[in-house]
Amino acid sequence: MDHAATINATAATLGLKITAEQRPGVEMYFALAAQMAALLDGLPLTPADEPGTVFHPVAPEVGE
Amino acid sequence: MNAGNLAMAGSIAAGVRDGSLHARNAVQASLDRIAATDGKVNAFTAVLAERALKHADAVDASPRRARMKLAGVPFAVKNLFDIAGLATLAGSKIERDARPASRDAVLVRRLEAEGAVLVGALNMDEYAYGFTTENTHYGATHNPHDLARISGGSSGGSAAAVAAGQVPLTLGSDTNGSIRVPASLCGTFGLKPTFGRLPRTGSYPFAASLDHLGPFARSVADLALAYDAMQGPDVQDPSCAQRDIETTAGLLTRGAEGLRIGVLGGWFRSKAMPEALAAVDRVAGALGTTRLVEWPEVERARAAAFMVTCGEGGALHLDDLRQRAHDFDPKTRDRFLANALVPAAWVMRAQRVRHWFARRVARSFETVDVVIAAATPCTAPGIGTEWLELDGQKMPARASMGLLTQPVSCIGLPVVSVPLWGLNPAAPHLPIGVQIVAAPWREDLCLRVAAQLEQQGLCSAPVAPGL
Repeated sequence: MDHAATINATAATLGLKITAEQRPGVEMYFALAAQMAALLDGLPLTPADEPGTVFHPVAPEVGE
Repeated sequence: MNAGNLAMAGSIAAGVRDGSLHARNAVQASLDRIAATDGKVNAFTAVLAERALKHADAVDASPRRARMKLAGVPFAVKNLFDIAGLATLAGSKIERDARPASRDAVLVRRLEAEGAVLVGALNMDEYAYGFTTENTHYGATHNPHDLARISGGSSGGSAAAVAAGQVPLTLGSDTNGSIRVPASLCGTFGLKPTFGRLPRTGSYPFAASLDHLGPFARSVADLALAYDAMQGPDVQDPSCAQRDIETTAGLLTRGAEGLRIGVLGGWFRSKAMPEALAAVDRVAGALGTTRLVEWPEVERARAAAFMVTCGEGGALHLDDLRQRAHDFDPKTRDRFLANALVPAAWVMRAQRVRHWFARRVARSFETVDVVIAAATPCTAPGIGTEWLELDGQKMPARASMGLLTQPVSCIGLPVVSVPLWGLNPAAPHLPIGVQIVAAPWREDLCLRVAAQLEQQGLCSAPVAPGL
């Protein structure tokens, strides 16, 4: 993956400005996240492997 | 009756209940100790003397005093808990501009309903993103057992305040290890309950699908006392389980009797330095176990916790990253910026791997009740340490402090961290923690095993001498 291109494109899409001072750190940490993503991709999953998050519907008396 | 700050919570509460100690005296002793020591430790970011003494007087005058489980016990909370009238800083400069909290966090209210007295707010890594509490805005919190070393984090102030004898009880949060890491490095007991056990209402989030809250104390009995007082559902926290209160304090004397105990192998041993391995082996010996338990794909589970934290943490701060990135702590800013950029597919994959891992680990608890592992790879490094040599690799010191805690909190298991001493020959004055882990909702088992180890004299949480 071309991290610099991804960082530039995503930052522009989100309205984030990455300064020259910030860029080396941002590139280092994005590369670390990419390493973690590669590890995660290495585990075979099936469509039955659902995310570990569950949405709880909100009862009327708890609403705002 | 010892009115001093060095008394345990249970002892103070017993004295206030039977009238041999005034809550005001217990609270004043805590305030005096904070004044005398915090210049060296830097655990507190706010001391609430007026509020505390007023509440202490109310406890002394209360007709319920004799029934209050935490009567007159001074406590303090990580500064991501709401305190009425104060902006909830979460370790940041940015939140100084936030509207003051209108009421206390739920857990603060629950402790105070049992007679405990809030005396202040505690230092932390900015937005809970770190394992060292080297906070640029508020200064580093120093380890009370060696002031040149880190306290751990992100709940560094919470551990240090207990280790310094400033208060017998504190609260912190744990997303990837932020209770267990500072408990290990400062030599206190710490409890990270099951995910969803304690409500987080009125606390500043980090990564909502991983955030836990829990107590620090100098004894297992105090840990259980506080934990029991905080249990119970709260509908305002969507992740809080609708479970009945399951008290633990009365179960501690059962110890490890009848429990099947294993030692986590693989990742949990390869990422531990000799002092951490020695601590685990000493606990295993005391519990009479040689059974090795291997969880599958631990490195990927740690990656899942890392990635979920990236996605949720980055998105949470997006507005401030757009408008005032320069106001973040330089230690967190570039990480949050990078995290805001990670693709959704990476984060969703992490949530699926997390669930995959949880299902496999759940099966392992069919053959054991409790497993143990080191809480940190090593004893506390010096403040400013950048690199560690671990498993033959040069590793970033700050991130590496959570290597052994992240795979456990990733799947929400309950853990008690217990402190052992004298296992690092180069620094025998330093503690290191061992995690006691059980299946979901079995905090009672973690606490029972911890209580036995404490009773055997294997682990303890003394106040740091010489402050």
